[in-house]
Amino acid sequence: MQLRAYIVRRLLLLIPVLFGVTLFIFGITMLFSPTARAMLFIRDPKQLANIPALIELYGLDQPFVVQYGNWIGQVFQGNLGYSKIVSMPVGDAIVNFLPATLELAIFATPLIILAGILLGTTAAAHKDKPLDHGTRVVAILGWSLPTFWLGLMLIMIFYGFITGFLPPGRLSVQMDLLVSAAPFVRYTRINTIDAILNLNGPVLLDALRHLVLPVITLSVVNVAFIMRLMRSSMLESLGKGYILTARAKGLSERVVNKHARRNALIPVITVSGYLFAALANGVVITETIFNYKGLSWWAWQSAINLDIPAILGFAMFNAFLFVLVNLVVDILYTRVDPRVRLGEAVQ
Amino acid sequence: MRDWRFTVRQLVKNPLSLLGIIIIFIFIGIAIFAPLIAPTPERYEDRPYMIPRDGYWAAPQPPDEDHPFGTTMGQYDIFYGVIWGTRSAFRVGLVVIGVVLLIGIALGSLAGYFGGIIDEIIMRITDIFLAFPALILAMAIVAALGPSLKTVMIALAVVSWPSYARLIRGDILQVREEDYIEASRGLGASSGRVILRHALPNAIYPTLIMASLDIGAIVLAAAALSFLGLGAPEGYADWGQLTSFARNWIVGPPGNPLKYWYAVTIPGLFILFFVLGWNLLGDAFRDIFDPRLARR
Amino acid sequence: MKDLLKIRDLSVRFYTYEGIVHAIDDLDLDIRQGETLGIVGETGSGKSMTALAILRLVPYPGKIESGSIVFSGRDSGGELELLKLRDDKMRAIRGDKISMVFQEPGAALNPVFSIGSQISEVFLLHRRQELGRRAKERIDNLLRDGSGFASALSRPFWRWQRRLYSKIAEEPHALEPRLLNRLPLFRRLLGRLRDEASLLTVNMLKGVEIPDAARVAAHYPHELSGGMKQRAVIAMALACSPELLIADEPTTSLDVTIQAQMLELFRRIKADKGASILFITHNLGVASEVCDRLAVMYAGRLCEVCTIEELFLHPLHPYTKALLDAVPIPGKELQTIPGALADAFNPPPGCRFHPRCPNATPLCQQDRPKLKEVGKDHMVACYLF
Repeated sequence: MQLRAYIVRRLLLLIPVLFGVTLFIFGITMLFSPTARAMLFIRDPKQLANIPALIELYGLDQPFVVQYGNWIGQVFQGNLGYSKIVSMPVGDAIVNFLPATLELAIFATPLIILAGILLGTTAAAHKDKPLDHGTRVVAILGWSLPTFWLGLMLIMIFYGFITGFLPPGRLSVQMDLLVSAAPFVRYTRINTIDAILNLNGPVLLDALRHLVLPVITLSVVNVAFIMRLMRSSMLESLGKGYILTARAKGLSERVVNKHARRNALIPVITVSGYLFAALANGVVITETIFNYKGLSWWAWQSAINLDIPAILGFAMFNAFLFVLVNLVVDILYTRVDPRVRLGEAVQ
Repeated sequence: MRDWRFTVRQLVKNPLSLLGIIIIFIFIGIAIFAPLIAPTPERYEDRPYMIPRDGYWAAPQPPDEDHPFGTTMGQYDIFYGVIWGTRSAFRVGLVVIGVVLLIGIALGSLAGYFGGIIDEIIMRITDIFLAFPALILAMAIVAALGPSLKTVMIALAVVSWPSYARLIRGDILQVREEDYIEASRGLGASSGRVILRHALPNAIYPTLIMASLDIGAIVLAAAALSFLGLGAPEGYADWGQLTSFARNWIVGPPGNPLKYWYAVTIPGLFILFFVLGWNLLGDAFRDIFDPRLARR
Repeated sequence: MKDLLKIRDLSVRFYTYEGIVHAIDDLDLDIRQGETLGIVGETGSGKSMTALAILRLVPYPGKIESGSIVFSGRDSGGELELLKLRDDKMRAIRGDKISMVFQEPGAALNPVFSIGSQISEVFLLHRRQELGRRAKERIDNLLRDGSGFASALSRPFWRWQRRLYSKIAEEPHALEPRLLNRLPLFRRLLGRLRDEASLLTVNMLKGVEIPDAARVAAHYPHELSGGMKQRAVIAMALACSPELLIADEPTTSLDVTIQAQMLELFRRIKADKGASILFITHNLGVASEVCDRLAVMYAGRLCEVCTIEELFLHPLHPYTKALLDAVPIPGKELQTIPGALADAFNPPPGCRFHPRCPNATPLCQQDRPKLKEVGKDHMVACYLF
């Protein structure tokens, strides 16, 4: 089917998913009494008296359907609620915190995929030989590392021991001041991209320096995963009939591997979609440790403090991203595997 | 029978999986003999899982006679913490995996075997769960229910079951179409349940093994939650909890930046090796069970 | 008639977890120039393994233990001991002098590459000089006939290309073109080679009677039917006009009507190309359609080798006779061969067939019978003769 029609159809599927996710979360919050929920709005004990008024104001004792309906109504008017922990509307919060997380993802994802594919192919090509065992040990080690511990250790060594070499945070204090004021224009609020667009070398370098440790922390765990998958995928591919044909044609091992790799990449592409989900998880810890105020950091704060509007907003945004990423993956799939057509079920 | 022997032989031959087995056994030993290795001081006898404190200073103290691994912030004994933390780790891991497998098998086989509307509903539910980043959802659940090791277990179980339900469902789907199921039915096998008794063991045996080995990942997630303050209460013998104490003490004073290395490194190493052991074993099993790689 | 391929004392063993399998046991076989030799046998007789051994593609955990395979091709420069050949020299022979067609065309073709590209691959590998020469000629034509502004601009570019192609025409793996091919931007320079290969590919496809060859070349394997796929695979194998074509059960996976067309194709290949064909099958009927001589294998050993007429008129080995008897004929009671296939791990001692042989003697259990010439071009391995 046509690409455009397919995209539209997939995006329409977004709606039930969004409904499902938000209904689910709303449902959980409804498990608490109206009083308990009203409590979330107050900041100190003195305001306890205001609870009945709050319940009245926000309609916290109305039936579930009414409350949910109200909320949906608000959403359609563009009002996603107010996130108390960061003191700004939810929509603004998303826009505010997204660039930091995006920056990490932009650097981490290609690194993860390339490193994983490279290691996996190497391991498969030298199956059961020392190189295979070696890369597997490294991969399993990486996989077993607690992300938060790795982050702390890296800070200890590269910031503490080699003093100030690779610092936490997004930018050093002076650069931060530079970036927040004119003439620096923050196009995307992603520091590296902005630095390039502003043709500002020092800022770029500084931003990169701050990115090294968080990106490594994020990547290590996931590289192991991808590498493992690529290895088994390559081994499966190399066992197929067309590989024997390729050898019978007299092709060199290098070209034979090319034949195998094309096929082996197919499941890896599927997994890249799930990689995104894995990144969304790993980012929480990374952002916390390295003081990177990104989307996951905000989500964590809202989760701990039960900032319901924020949680709902984040959930919706995440579901939206999830559907989008799956869509992209499915389309990529059709590009790589000619047997699959748009709209067909993927095996 | 021959299959089992082949499997075991493969495991022992492989140096990596052997290492994994050894590591796991060491940890099992530590967990069982914890009271002997790190005896609980008298005044803490009714609360063995609370780490003994030797004072109230903030700064961690280096290892010495009384404290083989030193103390962390608040003078909690690291040695005691990591030894008894092994028990907490096993508890969390086993309980969560057990619960998750039960739910997963129940829902997964229902969905896989009966298909149709039941399948659809269950699949949509898993979709919703999977569309949300697991850690964040877990955090929300723990926060809502109040942080404690128990809620951590609940949260992790809630977050993990969808993937397993899906896996089991896949297994059932695969087996459902196999000829011998058709044949059993043809011979008049009484009900779906009887067939499940034939089908299920074959199909889910590998998945079960793989799931059990995910205990490493569960413990890792639990440690992460504790680290973020959403797990065991302060002072509880839990690896993640112990590491969180070190957060403000990663970098020492200028001139001796690695001064408090033991506060961070030691609990972390325990987590690392625990998970490593299970992952090594899991990796080896994955190789053995991979249907695409011929069993030679 | 000279022998194209001489196999002597070939032994192939498989080292599996459950034991050692003697897939091929001291095999002696000759393939003559221009003949179509068939190998017939049941599953596990070692016939496919023989084919793989010739090309040195025996898969792990198999190993070619001993023996010699001597190939005396026309342009190969005398006799080549295939089993001792260096890897790159062996690769030069595969697909060029000796090529193979496999049983499952669906599995033999890579699903993510187009049919045309997979066939062109063979030309690009083995006929690089030829392609370079043709590309050069085409540019010569362009330079000569081209007029107008656009061609004037392109001239220096063409001249550069021409230089490259001349180099390739002389030395197929010349350094400069190879380096340039690796650099992403310059790969287009050598695009003409691919174009020339495509032309040859389409011709090949026409040669195996694929309709609308140019369009089919652009298709992917899953878009073709089984018969078409097999034709494409044959085209791929015949691309460089090999001296020996090995066909491993090429018609087994096709339905009967297509089978008939395929056999007709093979007969035509025999007539046109003058190549030798090693035709492996378990179906005696199919064998009778294409083969000149037939070799019967059982449990990794040869039982009988003779011309096709001799086989049907005067079968000597009890196994051969049993095979012929087992062919179902309407009205006649179905004959089977008693007993079961020889156990791969623990084959019977002496003659492998003796447990199932109606004429077995005590001698048959002791030593293995050797292949003996008992008639005009007729060899048997049996103590009855």
